[in-house]
Amino acid sequence: MTTLALAAPRRRRRAPFILLVGLTVLGIIALLAVIGIWYTPYDPTAFAVRIRMAAPSFAHPFGTDEFGRDVASRVLAGAHLSLAIGFGAMLISLVFGVPLGLLAAFHRGWVEEVIMRAVDLLISLPPILLGLLILAVTPPNLFKTILAVGLVYIPILVRLSRAVGLGLLEEDFVQAAFARGEGAVSILWHEILPNAWPPIIVECGLRVTFAILLGSALSFLGLGPQPPSSEWGLMIAESRTFLTQAPWVGLAPGLCLCLLLVSVNLVGEGLREALDPHLSGRAHG
Amino acid sequence: MGDAPRSPAPADRALIVDGLSVAYNTPRGWLTALDDVSLSIQHGGALGLVGESGSGKSSVVMALLGLLDAGARVSARRVAFDGANLLANAPALRGRRIGVVFQDTSAVLNPACTIGQLVTEPLLVHLRMTKLQARTRALELLDEMGIVRPIQVMDCYPHQLSGGMKQRVAIASALATEPQLLLLDEPTTALDVTVEAQILDLLDRLRARHGLSMLLVSHNLGIVDRLCDRVSVLYAGRVAETGAAARVLDHPSHPYTKGLLAALPQPELSTERLSPIAGGLPDLVVPEPGCNFRPRCPFAVAGCDAPQSLLGATHQVRCHRVADIAALPWPSGEAETIAPARRAGVPLLRATGLRRRFATGGMLRRAFGRADPGVVAVDDVSLSIRTGEIVGLVGESGCGKSTLGRLLLRLITADDGALQFDGSVIPARPDAGFRRRAQIVFQNPDTALNPRQTIGAILHRPLRHFGLARGAAARREIARLLALVRLPASHAERYPHQLSGGEKQRVGIARALASRPDFLVCDEAVSALDVSVQAAVLNLLADLRDELGLAYLFISHDIGVIAHIADRVMVMYRGVMVEEGSVRDVLHPPYHPYTELLLSSVPIIGKHRGGGSVARAGDRVDAAGDAGASPSGCRFAGRCARKLGPICDVAAPPWQEVEPGHRIRCHIPLDVLRDIVPWQRGHALERVARL
Repeated sequence: MTTLALAAPRRRRRAPFILLVGLTVLGIIALLAVIGIWYTPYDPTAFAVRIRMAAPSFAHPFGTDEFGRDVASRVLAGAHLSLAIGFGAMLISLVFGVPLGLLAAFHRGWVEEVIMRAVDLLISLPPILLGLLILAVTPPNLFKTILAVGLVYIPILVRLSRAVGLGLLEEDFVQAAFARGEGAVSILWHEILPNAWPPIIVECGLRVTFAILLGSALSFLGLGPQPPSSEWGLMIAESRTFLTQAPWVGLAPGLCLCLLLVSVNLVGEGLREALDPHLSGRAHG
Repeated sequence: MGDAPRSPAPADRALIVDGLSVAYNTPRGWLTALDDVSLSIQHGGALGLVGESGSGKSSVVMALLGLLDAGARVSARRVAFDGANLLANAPALRGRRIGVVFQDTSAVLNPACTIGQLVTEPLLVHLRMTKLQARTRALELLDEMGIVRPIQVMDCYPHQLSGGMKQRVAIASALATEPQLLLLDEPTTALDVTVEAQILDLLDRLRARHGLSMLLVSHNLGIVDRLCDRVSVLYAGRVAETGAAARVLDHPSHPYTKGLLAALPQPELSTERLSPIAGGLPDLVVPEPGCNFRPRCPFAVAGCDAPQSLLGATHQVRCHRVADIAALPWPSGEAETIAPARRAGVPLLRATGLRRRFATGGMLRRAFGRADPGVVAVDDVSLSIRTGEIVGLVGESGCGKSTLGRLLLRLITADDGALQFDGSVIPARPDAGFRRRAQIVFQNPDTALNPRQTIGAILHRPLRHFGLARGAAARREIARLLALVRLPASHAERYPHQLSGGEKQRVGIARALASRPDFLVCDEAVSALDVSVQAAVLNLLADLRDELGLAYLFISHDIGVIAHIADRVMVMYRGVMVEEGSVRDVLHPPYHPYTELLLSSVPIIGKHRGGGSVARAGDRVDAAGDAGASPSGCRFAGRCARKLGPICDVAAPPWQEVEPGHRIRCHIPLDVLRDIVPWQRGHALERVARL
């Protein structure tokens, strides 16, 4: 039963390979995004009408757009905006969604009713409409976009963490904590949360990319970052008009978004693996 | 190896398995689950296949059904069913000429189908009957399974039936195509002992009536003895011993069989210390040419590393020392510690009039058009437990055992009643002092420990919570706790999944002991463990009582375990106590008719051979199950074989005191109850003589 378990004491595990790959790619994107705030090869907003919609060349590796602006420079300059929307919105939905969900799971009864009915209300509105509600009444700015997108995704995390929490509350080790008379915060923090992380992390990875896309949808409606900003979602939206003449204008931000999506999901999957003690060498069963 | 003697003329054999080997591909290499296993079943015979978890029992069943994963490597000299090559034809034979009954009916019976659909499906698919024919046949089958009102049951869904009913339906479905061979994989493990007895009776009847051959896979030696004429003991993928059931179980020859029997708690030998089998299963990835039980065997000598073969004609044993050790009993591993004369402790916990009702919306009740009265899980229960006392609580599942245990810990709130602990009244929301002194051990070691924390962190939680130790002192305390449950201190670094089931259960006990409690509720604390491991944990719990003066409420459905460990027993039926007294008193007449039913249902080795079978009530079961009970009368009246008459239905039975400390709640006069035939008649003498 345990011959293997009786082998050498547990060594510190190496981080999973995919976590390293994901973190590396994400790190490079983040570094470029920070550099892009201060330095770009060309001015991302300066018009150069003579080289409108130039195909990719040595001087302009991703070509130029309809105003002759260097696409590479624009992608670089807009990266921090996209990252801020994606991660900011994810963090907002995480910070509000998970505690609310676990609270609803823990306090069955009226607390749960209030939280879940509020969530039902939020979820019943289409995301765009909800974004409109928040953004349309006042002039849009980046922070409000993040807030709106984050709010849209709170219900998903509330429901997910409540479902996970409900399952875990039935487990005997949680009952053991009740038998010790531990308080709600202690039980949630020590017993529930560590076991609830894996599905939540995976969900968060998805939310980052969805948030960027929703952010660009809001931009498209004129409620997100405004031109001449080069937020990636906005760039993709703008490139739509001349997709047939100059496909490279949308290609660069699209590729970057893809790369970000993949790396974020690799990090999520890697984290899930790294946090799971089961994968650290199992006794054969 | 080819050492297994050739089977005799195959004509009288329903199933012949010769040299079956199964290996699974794992990251570490091929894991040999079965190694040259040979079995045979006569026409109309029943073979029991016993062994602990991991011994390869289920691999045999899966191989016979052709249901092993594609990655498994199967080889055999011959697997013949009724003259045909079974391995090649398994898909055509299974479900048709070979029926299967599994342990977990909830996984087998499709919850979206009615019972009628489930039972008629094999008839429609395999026998190509018309719907009407199939329905008629299904009704016959259900009736034969002892199901009352089969027409109503046909329209029920699986979740509306009790566990025993579901198992009857599963058997009906397996027998629908009139197979010649029935494979039973732990068919009664999930059932109550009373229901188990009914199912075993049913299987026995069916076997006689249809001339069925059976292969019964079980970890329970008592069941195998009850149902089978031959038995094969499997250890780590090899047959250790095989022979007539009576012969093998009464005169075990292989050391492993001896060990299994010695580890079994026997109701009649309650004072004896159990003898666990030390160690665990060998690593099946590493081939072991010699005896694979050698590392755990107390009789092992130098020659044991040579390949062993099954020796003998009808009673075969894979041990070269079989003649030398024939007369030797399994040694009790540890020196017999004479327990100090148990002082009558002072009252520690006293509960009066505890009551708890759960609201339910039972589908069946609604279907039968009744209002929802809820379920009174615990009804007016009073009990007291003294320091250093082990009180056993027995009853069928759903009788309120666990609810009572949790009420005593104030883990769930009581609707009514009072709780006193060490002289002070415990409120509904107890203080940390009570929490520290009253703890709980759970049944399932797999869910009882937080999988994200190391053992050290798990044990540190109560120390921190109650402010008992911190820093280096906490580390010392964790080492002390691990030593207390006989685990090495290095286990503190491990995660729960790196421990075996028995080790995990010890950690669960250590966590409960961390706050130095005076009272432990052990909720089926050994039920999920293998026999050999169970023996070790029971010994540990008994030792801890002696060392620390702990009091336990020991909840179990296993009478053998209760009889072994408890000082006093309480028998609970549907929320009320029906009998309480010392173990000796409760196990002997006079006893409550329900106690009699429970005791007579326990499958004990040699019992049915010793005669003295007790008339058992409730052999035919109703879908409504508990419908007969009236709230004012005796709750057991509907199932009672000794029911007096209308008085049982209308008047609550009184407590009758047999002698101080032993009382029975029944209308039947004690003199009548005294004349009940003892349930274990003939058995105890036989056992004692053997040892």
